[in-house]
Amino acid sequence: MAQALTIRPPGGDKFGSGLTLAIILHIAIAAAIVTAAVVNPFNLDRWGGHESTEGAIQASMVDALPLPPKAVPVEKSVLVQPDVSPAPAPPPKEATAAPPKETDMLIKGKTTPKTAKVEAPAPPKHVQPTPETTKATTGSTATQIPQSIVQNSKGQAALTVQDHVFGQRYAYYFDAVQRKIGENWLGQEADPRASMGKSVKLIFDINRDGTPSNIRVEVPSGSPTLDLSAVHALQRVDTFGPLPAGNKQTLEDTFTYHPQ
Amino acid sequence: MVLRMRSLHLPHGLERLAALTCFALLASAALAQDPFPQLHQDISNNRIRIAAADFKPAGSDSATSAEKHTFDTVLFSDLQNAGIFDLVSKSMVPAATPGYPAEINLAQWSSAPTSASMVAFGNFAVQGGHVIVNGFLDDAKNTQFPQVFAKQYNEVASDDSARQIAHRFADEIIFRLGGGINGIAESKIYYIKINGANEKEIWEMDYDGANQHPVTHLGTISMSPRVSPDNSRVAFSALDLRAGFTVKMYSLLLGRAVAFNGGSNSGAPAWSSDGSQLAFSSSRSGHPEIWVSDPEGRIAHEITNFGSDTSPTWNPKTNAQIGFISGRSHLPQLYIMESDGSGVQRMTDGGYASSPSWSPNGQFIAFAWDRKYGPGAPGGQDIYVMEVASKRWIQLTHDEGRCDFPTWSPDGRHIAYASSAGGRAANSRIMTMLVDGTQKHALTGSGADMPNWSWK
Repeated sequence: MAQALTIRPPGGDKFGSGLTLAIILHIAIAAAIVTAAVVNPFNLDRWGGHESTEGAIQASMVDALPLPPKAVPVEKSVLVQPDVSPAPAPPPKEATAAPPKETDMLIKGKTTPKTAKVEAPAPPKHVQPTPETTKATTGSTATQIPQSIVQNSKGQAALTVQDHVFGQRYAYYFDAVQRKIGENWLGQEADPRASMGKSVKLIFDINRDGTPSNIRVEVPSGSPTLDLSAVHALQRVDTFGPLPAGNKQTLEDTFTYHPQ
Repeated sequence: MVLRMRSLHLPHGLERLAALTCFALLASAALAQDPFPQLHQDISNNRIRIAAADFKPAGSDSATSAEKHTFDTVLFSDLQNAGIFDLVSKSMVPAATPGYPAEINLAQWSSAPTSASMVAFGNFAVQGGHVIVNGFLDDAKNTQFPQVFAKQYNEVASDDSARQIAHRFADEIIFRLGGGINGIAESKIYYIKINGANEKEIWEMDYDGANQHPVTHLGTISMSPRVSPDNSRVAFSALDLRAGFTVKMYSLLLGRAVAFNGGSNSGAPAWSSDGSQLAFSSSRSGHPEIWVSDPEGRIAHEITNFGSDTSPTWNPKTNAQIGFISGRSHLPQLYIMESDGSGVQRMTDGGYASSPSWSPNGQFIAFAWDRKYGPGAPGGQDIYVMEVASKRWIQLTHDEGRCDFPTWSPDGRHIAYASSAGGRAANSRIMTMLVDGTQKHALTGSGADMPNWSWK
């Protein structure tokens, strides 16, 4: 006996209808998404859209930021008190009675001996030498300004007299000194290219009879020919005329080279 | 320049480099064209502006006004002649005549138009036959210590003493303000006065041409007066009928000729600056040579031996060198040598040189020179100054006739010389100038020749 066996669930074939329902539902959801994308029923703002107005950022310059007004502190509120409450004063120190002095205690049979106060003899006064200082003893310590400045075809020469008071009293003498050096300064001895705008400072002494001596360069100019021309100018001078006062006078002369 | 660079659109660094290069080129070109500093020391830039007030008459004597006028005039011209001042003209001087330092308002003098930095003033009185002058010099720019010096002069009253006081006061001012320049206002000039063809006498005058008066009365032809350094004697050459021109000596103290053994045919004396030696030209050995002797003409010795040497002049600074004129190479030229005759150097390179005079500081020789001498070469004889060390020279006179016989002032800032318009000796007059050739003016009229400035 050939018999085809067919196994059938007892409730019938329900799997097929479920699958169909799932497929329909998926299609419906996809259609709904596409429809929503095309129709845009909510009209949402879209950043970076192609419309000209959309997505522009506006910045308006204002004088003041619209900050919220400053809130008035609430007086009553303990937590937002702006004033710091004073720290409590330290507790007062307990007053302690001073210990009694020796004399206060009356001890029978003991009295303090009274002794006359002995004056200590004053130490003998020796004449103390004043310490030597490097500060100038004449004139003021202020910056020295040139006594006179002479402009000539070779440049200018500024003369500074070391003794301030002397320089003021006999200004005419130093004008004459200045003039005489200027007459003897030959600018062509200095190399113009190396010396342009440079200046050399000389120091020299004038003896009682007016002869210059001890000529030395204090601040070289950097142009050796200019330094030499300035020294030669002084060496050419026989005499400036006798000093109006004193035995020796030290002067400082600045030669600046700038021919016009 | 830079804008054009930008239009080329050079890269930034390259553009800067190009601009810098251009600037450097321009700067080096500017440097190459930059004028050298002036060789000439411009005196006028440095002159002191000084005002000489008319002195205040202090006496009631009638002579005061005439002598005071002399004093004021002489003081003014002395300061002007000094060559170191820019003198305020009388028309710009304030109207007030201060007589004492208390009376002067220096602000009035230091402000425009006077603008003086120095003021000379004082008072002038003639009392009891004496001139009494108080002179003051104030520094108008120094308000705290204005007074430079104060001087009093007291002399027997005369026009000449008023003149001498003015000279002395001016010399004092020049000495104080000039940086040790000794004033020349008291110096004298000795010269030859031509009285016709056969008489030339030695005369004397003040340095400014005033007070001209004769010294000798020899009645012959005198030449080349040279005063001794102590102003006591004048050496000169005079024509002697037996011996020709001979060197003679005249004592200014004794007022007569004193002995000098010059020998025959000698002339052109020259004192050494210490007064111990006299150089002169003498032909006692047969031809003119330079001889040196003591002031009496003893121990004379010959120091040249080439023929035709004349017109010696000592280097007054050292007395170790003598300048002279020699014709050893045809035309007369200027030479120098050591005072023993060694080390002869020729200084001029041509022309006709004569009358050398060595400057007081030893640096220069003044002489007369005709640089284009000879037929067909019309040259003028002019005064030249040569720097001895470098042999560079400058010409001081131009186109004013034949100039000769330069002589230095004691301060070395002036030269007196004889100038004859048209070359005629009778027209000759004595002129003076600063050594740079400026401020020329005549001291005498015509008929004066061969000036010699005293040593002090």
